[in-house]
Amino acid sequence: MKKRILSVVLCAAMVLTMFVGCGKDGDSNGVQKITWMFWDDLNATEDLISKGYKDVVDRFNKDYEGKYQVEVVTTNLEEYYPKLNALVAGKETPDCFIVSPGPNLDVYVEPGKVADLTSYLEKDGWLDSFNGGKGAFSQQTYDGKIYAVPLNIAAACVFYNTEMFEDAGITTMPTDYNGLLDACKKLKDKGYTPITISAGTAWCLSMLCGYLCDSEGVDLDKLNSGDASWLDSNVVNAVNKMVELSQYFQDTAAGDTNDVATANFYNGEAAMLIQGSWAIGQINGANPDFEKKCGVFAFPGTNGRVIAKSDSLAMSATTKNPEAVIAFMKYFTDDTAQKYTAEVGGKIPVTTVQYDADKAPAELAYVMDVFKNAKSTFGFYNESMASTEAGSTFDDAMVSIYLKQNSVEAGLQIVEDFYKNNVWNKD
Amino acid sequence: MKKRGKVKASTVLIYIFLILLAILFLVPLAWIVFVSLKDDKTLFISPWAMPDRLRFENYTFAWTAGKLGIATLNSAIVCVSSVLLCMLIGSMAAFAIGRMKWKLSGLVMTYFLTGMMIPVHCILIPLFTRFSAMHLTNNLWGLIIPYVTLSLPITIFIMTGFFKGLPNELFEAACIDGCSIYKCFTVIALPLAKTGLMVTGLLTFVANWNELLLAMVFISDDTKKTLPVALSKFVGPYNTNYSQMFAAIVIAIIPTIIAYCCFSNHIVEGLTQGAIKG
Amino acid sequence: MDKLLRNKMAIILFLAPALLLFTFVLFIPICQSVYYSFCDYNAMTAPKFIGLKNYINLFTTDRTMKIALKNSLFFLIFSVVSQFLSGIFLAVLVTNIKMGRNFFKNVYYLPCILSSAALGLLWMFIFTPKMGINQILAQFGIQGPLWLMDTKGFIILPMWVIAFVCLWQYVGQSMMLYIAQISGINGSLYESAYLDGCSKPKACWHITLPLIKPMMATAISLNAIGSLKFFDLIFNMTEGGPNKMTNVLATHLYEQGFKFFKYGYASAIGVILLILCLIVTFIVNKFIKIDNYEM
Repeated sequence: MKKRILSVVLCAAMVLTMFVGCGKDGDSNGVQKITWMFWDDLNATEDLISKGYKDVVDRFNKDYEGKYQVEVVTTNLEEYYPKLNALVAGKETPDCFIVSPGPNLDVYVEPGKVADLTSYLEKDGWLDSFNGGKGAFSQQTYDGKIYAVPLNIAAACVFYNTEMFEDAGITTMPTDYNGLLDACKKLKDKGYTPITISAGTAWCLSMLCGYLCDSEGVDLDKLNSGDASWLDSNVVNAVNKMVELSQYFQDTAAGDTNDVATANFYNGEAAMLIQGSWAIGQINGANPDFEKKCGVFAFPGTNGRVIAKSDSLAMSATTKNPEAVIAFMKYFTDDTAQKYTAEVGGKIPVTTVQYDADKAPAELAYVMDVFKNAKSTFGFYNESMASTEAGSTFDDAMVSIYLKQNSVEAGLQIVEDFYKNNVWNKD
Repeated sequence: MKKRGKVKASTVLIYIFLILLAILFLVPLAWIVFVSLKDDKTLFISPWAMPDRLRFENYTFAWTAGKLGIATLNSAIVCVSSVLLCMLIGSMAAFAIGRMKWKLSGLVMTYFLTGMMIPVHCILIPLFTRFSAMHLTNNLWGLIIPYVTLSLPITIFIMTGFFKGLPNELFEAACIDGCSIYKCFTVIALPLAKTGLMVTGLLTFVANWNELLLAMVFISDDTKKTLPVALSKFVGPYNTNYSQMFAAIVIAIIPTIIAYCCFSNHIVEGLTQGAIKG
Repeated sequence: MDKLLRNKMAIILFLAPALLLFTFVLFIPICQSVYYSFCDYNAMTAPKFIGLKNYINLFTTDRTMKIALKNSLFFLIFSVVSQFLSGIFLAVLVTNIKMGRNFFKNVYYLPCILSSAALGLLWMFIFTPKMGINQILAQFGIQGPLWLMDTKGFIILPMWVIAFVCLWQYVGQSMMLYIAQISGINGSLYESAYLDGCSKPKACWHITLPLIKPMMATAISLNAIGSLKFFDLIFNMTEGGPNKMTNVLATHLYEQGFKFFKYGYASAIGVILLILCLIVTFIVNKFIKIDNYEM
């Protein structure tokens, strides 16, 4: 009996300690701690951009030793938003976090969970250091207020295998859709797989569709507001073009994931890869010999418009140390970090920094050319729609059309229905 | 004579079937080990081909970059404590339900059993907000408590069956000897239900060792992450280090196999007596 | 004796820790979840009560819900039936051999103790269109199908693939349960049957099967609930794709709640899932009761 009671008491004591002995967030010696949340592990990653972010954190912590201290919270991309949302719901919003512009950022801006950064940006000429000034923030601006800072830009281009192109006798890069079809045909006649793409990772396919839609003049804003329909002839034409191009995809495109599709390209199994410029690091990392035979051209026939995606940083509206967060953010956009972005990371810097083009991967120079010649940019298609779910519906519809599960019209009807139920008639 | 020959033929057939099936079970697992010794480039070209050389550095990298050492320790702490707590708390409740006499026992049992049906995603956000208000996030206790709770239903389910199956005479004899009910529980019931405890222990251990979602959301601090979270480190935003990830998976699997070897002999006997009456 | 077993104080002491934990960690959050299912709630702003709208949407405009329900039910039926048959079959075979019994038993049980997430990844690799199985098939000149992307048929190929992988992973569990029950059967029963000239398969049919009936109920109910909640393998093999065709209730819930931030809506799916589980357990429970008397 005594033993029993003892163990019950012990049990109770244990439960008590669980609830009491846990508060340990007092900051000692006046060091202000801020948390930064990111979607890749900084130590295990092989992603060059993530490695660059690690350098930034280390640099900041060293320079501000004894004053500020950044603690990094990482998850993988899959669990990033579930975790971030739980943290926000639990009132533990990280002081600073990475987020993709578009619907993912909307979710935090609308309920006021992220801070307005405009005044910080306008101070000390920070804003002026950005390439294009305020224009660099178009995807992060809501009602004239800037809620996030872009760190780098990746542009979606066509990567191609120069040897295969030479062999197929293609000397000038295609500049319009028919040119692209021609090139594909020539490559196929020579026995090459013209295009490697992933329908297993749906956004890869919808990137292509995004380009095709944009060249047909599809206006997402009008679609979002209900002034245009997904069944309009320009959307149908664009998707028909995708179906036409799909005969030149690798046989296994339907099931290949993004990783596999990219591997097909750097392993010399296909001539073209339509991808964001982040793939440069992956291509050169996995097959260093490939750099010299990898060329880049802008997706043809888009009237100089290029799909661009940026990683952005947002600040919690409730952070206790905004000054520290801003100081930290500035480290991401300073010359050292931006030079790294270009020279090592293979992404386009957001500031006007001068970098050493010789150090950068060869492909980046081509991407930069594409980007410089671009008349304007637009976001990832699935990330530019009314909501994350709308983007995902579009992705899925494109995949189902490619798989011939739905006809073009039936596939688009699904998107149209989704918009009818969730976007246009939202009450 | 004729009959014996026939029996032998069927035995051979059975063995052939069982061996083929065993290969089906082992090949994919062996493949994990195999891939963990390759590099990503050749993995994508020919996943079944022998690697040009065995890349044991995948293991070194996985161990150091994935911080698998500390993660294994954390997983061990969390799993061992939740297993022990769950065995204790669960068998106490099971004893009350299965052995003691009171009106509401059936109802309470049903109440516990509903716990088996709840998908963990449903309670994630409410639980997180609650725990975060109590500073239980980023704390190993914040994992142990839900792990114990989520394992309680199956533990109670199996242990109740166990206690019900114990012969009445034992308790009557103890009663005559003047044993208290607490002593009946600790001295008679628990030791007799040892095999049941082994089974529930193993099930709890395996489930918690592999749990990812709660661990991912509740723990932010690198030094408190558990193994499944550490494994996910190799999945990058745009590409995944498959070979290193598989190396990490192999490392993570070993403790479960050890735990299984320790408990496995008890499983069958445990289940025999336990789940029948469940 | 009776008095001892009716000791109220002791009952309360024994139950208190479990009840407290259970109520605090599971029951209250579930109630909250049920409340959220009637709200427009994205976890970031305060929940706004909207009545039955989530449920109405779920059953009227949500295309994926129909697919998810169909797949979940398919999964439930497939895994209950397949695990039941193959579990008993394996258990009978394994208990009927003399050499290597433990080896086979442990090998078949091995996948159960490994993480579904890791195994999901492994199988995803094996079923990729070009590598894995198809590469081997190609050696024989066979062009393998798109295992995880095919969309033809009422129950599409990827669902079958996933269902078989699931069977591969969990058949050991059912087998173990049946082995446990079979090894509890008194050996003399068989001996006398053999003396009477009964063949092995016949003995199995007339002795083993009737005697393991109670375990069938247990195994089936564990199985049914497990298959309704099934998440990890699907999530890691297909993430519900292509075109949401392989979603089950649990993955649909995840996608709505954690990808699209519709937490209230996801809670409604959770409630449906819970109700389904309750119905299934109720049915199986009836089954158990009948069988216990037979024992």
